[in-house]
Amino acid sequence: MAELNPFKIAQAQLDAAADRLGLDIATHDLLRWPQQELRVTLPVHMDDGKVQIFHAYRVQYNTARGPAKGGIRWHPEETIDTIRALAAWMTWKTAVVDIPLGGGKGGVTCNPKWMSEAEKQRLARAYMRAIASTLGVSKDVPAPDVYTTPQIMAWMMDEYETMVGHHHPGVITGKPIPLGGSEGRGDSTARGGVYVTREAAKIMNLDLRNKTMAIQGFGNAGQYAALLGNEILGLKLIAASDSQGGIYNAKGFDPKQVVDYKLKTGSLQGFPESDRISNEELLELDVTILFPAALENVITAANADRIRCKICCELANGPTTPEADEILYQNKVFVLPDFLANAGGVTVSYFEQVQNTYNFYWPLQEVHERLDQKMTRAFYGVHEMYLKEKVNMRQAAYLVSVARVAEACKLRGWV
Amino acid sequence: MDPSTVPSGIQALDEVLHGIRLGDNVVWQVDGIEDYYYFARPFAETAIAARRRLVYFRFASHPPVLESRPGMEIIELDPSLGFDYFTREVHLLIESRGPEVMYIFDNLSALVVEWATDELLANFFQITCPYLFELNTVAYFALTRGQHAHYAVARIRDTTQILVDVYHAKGQMHIHPIKVWDRYSPQMFLPHLVAGENWLPLSHSREAAEVLVSAHQSPLLDTMRPLAPWESVYQKLLHYRDSTSGFDEKDPEQFALKQELARMLIGHHPVFNRLADRYFTLGDLFAIRNRLIGAGRIGGKAAGMLLAQRILLTEKNETEIDFAERLDDHDSFYVGSDVFFTFLVNNDLFRLRLQLTCDSSTSHEEFQEIEQRFLAGRFTPTIQEQFRAMLDYYGQAPIIVRSSSLLEDSFGNSFAGKYRSIFCPNQGNPEARLADFMRAVKLVYASALNPDALCYRSKRGLGTNDEQMAILVQRVSGMPYRHFFFPMLAGVAFSRNLYAWNDRIDIRQGVIRLVLGLGTRAVDRVGSDYPRMIAISHPHLRPEVGAKVSKYSQHQMDLLDLETNRFDTRFPAEVFVDGNYPNLYLFLSVMRDNYPYDPISGKVDGRPDQWVLTFNNLIRRTDFVLLMGKLLSTLEEAYGQPVDVEFTASVDATERVRINLLQCRPLFMPGSLVDVSVPTSLDRQQVLFRAHRMICGGLVEQIRYILYISPQRYYRLTSEAKKSLGRLVGQINRHPTMKGTKILMMGPGRWGSGNIDLGVNVTYADIDNAAVLVEVALEEAGHVPEVSYGTHFFQDLVEGQIIYLPVYPDDPSTEFQREFFETTPNALLEFLPHTSEYASVLRLIDVPKTTEGAFVQVAADPQRRQAVCFLDKVVRKRH
Repeated sequence: MAELNPFKIAQAQLDAAADRLGLDIATHDLLRWPQQELRVTLPVHMDDGKVQIFHAYRVQYNTARGPAKGGIRWHPEETIDTIRALAAWMTWKTAVVDIPLGGGKGGVTCNPKWMSEAEKQRLARAYMRAIASTLGVSKDVPAPDVYTTPQIMAWMMDEYETMVGHHHPGVITGKPIPLGGSEGRGDSTARGGVYVTREAAKIMNLDLRNKTMAIQGFGNAGQYAALLGNEILGLKLIAASDSQGGIYNAKGFDPKQVVDYKLKTGSLQGFPESDRISNEELLELDVTILFPAALENVITAANADRIRCKICCELANGPTTPEADEILYQNKVFVLPDFLANAGGVTVSYFEQVQNTYNFYWPLQEVHERLDQKMTRAFYGVHEMYLKEKVNMRQAAYLVSVARVAEACKLRGWV
Repeated sequence: MDPSTVPSGIQALDEVLHGIRLGDNVVWQVDGIEDYYYFARPFAETAIAARRRLVYFRFASHPPVLESRPGMEIIELDPSLGFDYFTREVHLLIESRGPEVMYIFDNLSALVVEWATDELLANFFQITCPYLFELNTVAYFALTRGQHAHYAVARIRDTTQILVDVYHAKGQMHIHPIKVWDRYSPQMFLPHLVAGENWLPLSHSREAAEVLVSAHQSPLLDTMRPLAPWESVYQKLLHYRDSTSGFDEKDPEQFALKQELARMLIGHHPVFNRLADRYFTLGDLFAIRNRLIGAGRIGGKAAGMLLAQRILLTEKNETEIDFAERLDDHDSFYVGSDVFFTFLVNNDLFRLRLQLTCDSSTSHEEFQEIEQRFLAGRFTPTIQEQFRAMLDYYGQAPIIVRSSSLLEDSFGNSFAGKYRSIFCPNQGNPEARLADFMRAVKLVYASALNPDALCYRSKRGLGTNDEQMAILVQRVSGMPYRHFFFPMLAGVAFSRNLYAWNDRIDIRQGVIRLVLGLGTRAVDRVGSDYPRMIAISHPHLRPEVGAKVSKYSQHQMDLLDLETNRFDTRFPAEVFVDGNYPNLYLFLSVMRDNYPYDPISGKVDGRPDQWVLTFNNLIRRTDFVLLMGKLLSTLEEAYGQPVDVEFTASVDATERVRINLLQCRPLFMPGSLVDVSVPTSLDRQQVLFRAHRMICGGLVEQIRYILYISPQRYYRLTSEAKKSLGRLVGQINRHPTMKGTKILMMGPGRWGSGNIDLGVNVTYADIDNAAVLVEVALEEAGHVPEVSYGTHFFQDLVEGQIIYLPVYPDDPSTEFQREFFETTPNALLEFLPHTSEYASVLRLIDVPKTTEGAFVQVAADPQRRQAVCFLDKVVRKRH
C-alpha cells in the first residue's frame, strides 16, 4: 500500500524552509527529528474483567523555546509517525505565535467508541502514570485533541497530582473551568482566526463592514467564526455548510439564528429562507472572506482556480493542498495559513497554563485582549516575512517559526 | 316457460313460489341437513339434465349434498382459513364462472363454527348474495334454524330473494316461505304441507296454529341453542366459573373450553396459543372479552401486549426484580375484528377492498379518495353506543387508536409503519371526542387498503391470508406538563442487538432505542434526529465521541398539544422553558466546549441551547437498563424466540423506574426482517460474495447498480485522486437515475474515515441513497486494512436502513467474485462523462444490462451472521 507518511511530509516542509533560510546542516538535521520519544504499553482492566493492552506514545519534538506543548489523541488509526508529524507542527505553531513553548504530541491507539466512561478513566490514568515522569509545567504540558475531552484532562491531572502529592493543575490544559480551565477557550480558535483576518484586511485596505463571508464546516470553529466574524468584523454570513450540504442566501443570514438552528436540529438543512448549496459550490462563492473549517484537502489543484474570495482564513487543518496554495498565491487570494489562523486554541491553552502557575485567573475580557495581542503580533511577524521573502503566507509562516526555533537552539549552544 | 325462470325440480314448489328466477338466492332454513337435500338434489338433477352449469361449494363437515358426477363441478373450500379468505375465494370463483350458473352451497351454519360469530356469517351472505344476483345465477343455501342470532337471520332475510322455513310438525314436512321477492299470491306466505303433487297452504287458522306452535319454541326471542361458539363457549365457561366448585383448568373439558375462548379472542397461531394456554387465566380472558367492543379477535398487537404483561407478572427472575411493582397496569379496550368487516359490508367497501391488490397501483390521490369513502362510512348504533361508553370511561385522557391486525405483529410478519396508529388527544365535549375517535378508527381501517400494506402482503405471500383488522385503544401514558401531554420516556427495545457496532457488544443482550416524549420518534426514523441507542451489555458505550454526541442525539420531541388538540413536534427547549419538568437531570447533558457534561445534582444548568439528550444519568443512576434487560430476556425465554417491545417509562422522585409495556412481538428489526434466511441452494455462479463477520440484517431485492471501487487500484491513487473519488461517489449517489432504484456500494477499507489511505473518503450525504454498503478488506502487501463497522456514520446507517457488510475477499469462504466486479462492463461514463481517468478504479455496473436481466439480491441473517450477495437468477454467460 502506497501510504502517505505524514512525518515524511512534515520533514519535507521543514526541508523547504531550511533551504530558504540557509540553515546549517546540524540545525536542519536536529529539527528534522523529535528530541525525545516515549512509547509505552498500557494494561487496562476492562469492565468485563479482561485486561486489554494499549499502545501509547508521547513525543517531545523540540523544547528549545520552552516546555513541549501538544494534545493527546485517542484514535484507532494512531501511529508513531502521525504523532511525530503533529508534534513537529505544534513546534512551528507555538513559534509562529511566539509563545514560550515547544512542540509535542501524544496518542493512544484505541477506539474510544468501544469504551465505557469507566474504562476511559482507567486508560487516562494508566497513560498519565506511564508518562508522568516526562511531564510537568516546565517540561511538557499536554492538552485535549482528537477524541479526548476536558473530562479526560481532569482525570489525567488528578492522577498526576496524586503521584506528585500536591496541586499541579498546569501539568495539562483544556481542563474543565472548575478545575482550572481558562475562560475563553471555547471560541479561541475562531477568535484567533477572526483577529488575523482583521489584520489581513487592514493591510489590504479592505473595509470588512457588510462584506460577505462563507463558512465551510459548521462545527465548533465554524459556528464561532460566523458569530465573531459578524460581531467583530461586521461581516455578513451568506453561506454555511456541514457534512450534509450547505445553505445560501445572498441577502445574508442572522448568524445567531443559524447557530441556534444547527444546535437544535443537528443540521443546517431546512433553515428558513435558504437555498441549498453544495460544499463544493460554497468554496467557489464570490465572497470577501472564506473560512474553510471542516476537512483537509478541500481546496485542490482542481478547484483552486475557481476560488474567488479575497481572504481565505484556514480554521481547519490542511484545507489547501500545496499545488492549490501556489495557484491561490498567483491569483492573489490572500491565505491565512492554518497554523497561524487556528493558533488561537494553543494560545489560550498557554494562557491556561500561565494562570494555573500564578493560581490567579483572568476575566474573559482579559483573555480576549491578550489573545488579540498575540495573534496580531503573530500576523505581522509572518506578513513581514511574506513581504521580505516574496513567498506565500504559508511559506512565510514556516520561515518565521523555523527561524525562531533555530535561533533558540543556537542560543542554547545545541548547534 | 318464462326464460328467466329456472325449474327447482319440484313442480309443486315452483307453483308455491311462482317459479325460481335467474338472480334468486334461495335460503332454506332447516332443522336437519336431510331437509336441505330434499330440495337441493332435485334442483341439481334438473340443472344437469338441462345442461346448465352447476357448481357445488363444499365446505361443511356434514355428508355431501351432491356426489361427484359428470355435468357438475365441486369446489372444496376451507372455512377455517377465515372469513376474509373464504369470502374472497368465493367471490373470485363466482366471478370466474360467469353468469347464469347454478350454485349449491353446503349448510352455512358450518361457517359459524369456524368463524365463531353470527356477525361474520351475515357479512358473508350480505357480500356474496348481491354479487350472485348481479350475475343472474341461482344459488341454494341452507341455514340451521334456531341456532343463529336473530339479527343475523334478519340481515340474511333482508338480503336474499327467497327465504323458506322448513320444518316438521305432526310427523310431516312443511315449508313456509318467509320472503319471496317480487312475487305474491294471497296464500304464498302461509305454511304449506309437503305432500303429493300439490302442496296445500294451511289456510285454516286452527291447522296453521297447530303446526306453527309445534315448530317454533320462541319466535320473538334470540336463539335458545346458540351455535356460534362466541356466545355458547362464553356461556358455558361462565357457568363453570359461577358453579360451586368453580372453574377447574385441570378438567379436560373445561380446559378445552378455555382454549377455545382464547382462540376466538386471539387467533390460531401455535406460538400465541401455547403462550395463551400457559399464561392466561380464565379471568384474563374474561377481562379481555369485557373490554371488547363488538365481537371477533383482538389482533396481534393487543394479544402480544397482554401476553407479555402476563408473562412478566408470572415469571419470577433471579435478580429479584418484581415486575408487579415495576409495570404499569393498563386499561386498554379492543375493537373486535368483526366490527371491521361489518363496517366494510355495511358501507359497501368490501368489494372495493377485493378489487384493490398490489398490482392495482393505487396512487396517493386515489388512496385519499378511498380514505374519504371510509370517513363517510357509519358504524352501527350498537357499536357507536359501545364507543361512547368507552370514551366516558377514559374521560378526557388522551388515547391512541392502533391497528391490531391479525397478520400484523404476528410471528414472522411485521407491518411496521404500514398500518396506522392515530393519537386522539381526546379534548372537547363528548360528541366531539366521539367524532374524533370514530374518524381515527376509520382512518386506521382505511390503512388496511393502503397500497404499501397491500404490496407488503402480496410480497410476503400473505395476499390471500385472512386479514382481520382489530383495533387496540390504549391510554397514552404520560402526564400533562404545561399544555402538553407526553410520556417521560418511550422507545423500542430488541432482545437481540443486531446493531452492535463493535465486537465487545453482546448481541444476545439486546438494545434499546430511547427517546424523550412520545415513542413515535424511536419507532419511525426521522432524518437527522437520533434516539439514544443503548446496548444492554455495554450501556455506557456509544458510537460517538465529543461534539458528535450532540449531532447524533434527539433534537426534537413528539407530544400531544392539549390546546390545539393535536399531535405535535417541538424542541425540548420550547417545552421545558422553565426547566422544572421532573427528573430532567436524568435525561439531559450540557454541552460545553464540545463535551457533554452530565448534571451532578438534580438541577440542569446551562442554557437550553446547550442541552443535549444523552440520558447518561438515567443509565448511570437508575436500574432502567437492568430492568429492560431482564424484561427482554424473560420475554424471549417465554416466547422461545427473540422479541421486540414498545414501551414507555417513567421515573419517580426516588429515581425508581416504572415501565408501561405497549407492545411485544417476535423480533423484527426496523429495516430488516429477522426471518431472512440466507438461501442455501444457490448456484455457485450466482454468488457474488458472502460475508460472515458482524453485520446488520435484512433482505434487499432488485438491486440494479453496483458501485465498485477496486481496492488494488484505489491504493495506488494519489491522495488528490482519492479525495476526488469520494466526491464522484457522491455525484453518483445524487444522480437523478439513482432515485427510485437500488444501488449497492462497495470499496476498500474504512468508508468515511478522515484518512483517505484507510478508506474511501465520503460523508453520509455521499452514500445516503445506497441500499447496501460493503467495506472490502482486501489484503495488500501482507496488510489487511481495518473496516469501520460503519462507525463513521453508524447512526446514519441505522436510521437510513442501509445494510452494512464487511467483506474479507482473502477468506476462501467469502467466495468473492473479483472477476465479476473488475471486468463487467463499466457504465460510469454514461453517468459522469468527464471521469474517464477514474474509470479503471471506479466501476458502475448496470447489473441487468450485463447479466441477461438478473438483479442483485442481498440476504443478511444477523442471527447466524451469514450474508450472501447473489444474482437472482443463474446466468450462463455473465457479460
